[in-house]
Amino acid sequence: MAFEPKILGIACNWCTYTGADLAGTTRLLYPQNLRVVRVMCSSRINPSFIFRAFQLGADGVFVGGCHPGDCHYNTGNLYARRRLAVTKKILEFAGLEPGRFRVEWISASEGNKFAEVVQEFTAQIKNLGPQTKLKIQK
Amino acid sequence: MADFKKIEENLKKEAKRLLEAGEVTVVLAYSKGFDEKHPMPYAAKSVADIKNIVFNEYCNHNMARYLVRYPQGTKIAVAVKAADSRAVIQLIQEEKVKRENLVLLGIPVYGMKNSKTGEVIDSKTTSGLCNPVLYDILLGAEVHGQKIVSPYEVLAEYEAMDKDARWEFWKNQLDKCIRCYACRKACPMCYCDPCFIDQSKPRWADKAPQSPGNMMYHLTRFHHLAGRCIDCGECSRACPVDIPLYLFHKKVAKECEEMFGQAAGMKLEDKPVLVDFRVEDSDKILE
Repeated sequence: MAFEPKILGIACNWCTYTGADLAGTTRLLYPQNLRVVRVMCSSRINPSFIFRAFQLGADGVFVGGCHPGDCHYNTGNLYARRRLAVTKKILEFAGLEPGRFRVEWISASEGNKFAEVVQEFTAQIKNLGPQTKLKIQK
Repeated sequence: MADFKKIEENLKKEAKRLLEAGEVTVVLAYSKGFDEKHPMPYAAKSVADIKNIVFNEYCNHNMARYLVRYPQGTKIAVAVKAADSRAVIQLIQEEKVKRENLVLLGIPVYGMKNSKTGEVIDSKTTSGLCNPVLYDILLGAEVHGQKIVSPYEVLAEYEAMDKDARWEFWKNQLDKCIRCYACRKACPMCYCDPCFIDQSKPRWADKAPQSPGNMMYHLTRFHHLAGRCIDCGECSRACPVDIPLYLFHKKVAKECEEMFGQAAGMKLEDKPVLVDFRVEDSDKILE
């Protein structure tokens, strides 16, 4: 059977989640590998969520937020940008493939972009294969 | 090599003066341990305590660690070496202590030794600074003429590694961890109460000293110290199983400095990088 990755998507309520909604209502096709969790803001994301997701078996983690400057809370995603950049560097230096973690800014009107990003990211994770490094071996 | 006897004398003299005048209620310095090689952190609270103060090349402890244990407003004098003074600045930036409550007894020093290995502590495991960045009273002559080596030089070897080899390296190192939390106890920046690892709701990581929990604990700790680690190297010296934690902290510090253009604990007016932002931060940092 072909490898079907599990991808955790953490999406901000105001932009990316609404964007995903738009992708759905406009009937755009995108892979079903993404499991979306809605948070109120991309700065709500504790970096430990991402480490924990990898430990619990996620093959990739995708974070979506508003475009910088468009945050519903004015500055949330600007803090998130710095924080998630550090998260990425840490995962990279620990030896995880850098392609397994991705941050994108997707606004509420960008249903197309959401579908594209998910397609692209899923293909990338399929290429990388299962994530075994951080995953807890049972 | 710094004149350790002279520094000890000056330290005692200043401590005596400050305690007698009532300018401070406690002086944080070092006292004799079970032998010469193992001095202990020491809080002198009265003039009678001053005779116990020592200073030698093994006094590595970062005394800024103990500042947050006193209630806000306590007047404290603290003996600070180069890295310790950066820790104090960082704590002031984070509003854990106030500048006006502190008397910083600066110790310019070169040639401190690791009591475990006997090696001289330099830029390989720490930031390699000799002179305190911030002080009120200097207890010895400033150190000049040491070769300046970038503290990040030691990273090149690990950055050049293949990612799978690096994973193997870190997995082997972190699997050694026995979860004694000595790194957390020694770190001047680790003051959260409770620490995320002690929380049970949510339970962020497994508590057993096994691979997954160890990985979670250390990766999160590296993240919590991002842009705050002042590179004193105390975590790795405190580690009973010799995990080179300083390497990861150095790497994160280097990335933060490159991305945000600011090293931790160098200027009083800075803000820690992760509680700050610039609108003009580039999205490239996320690639």
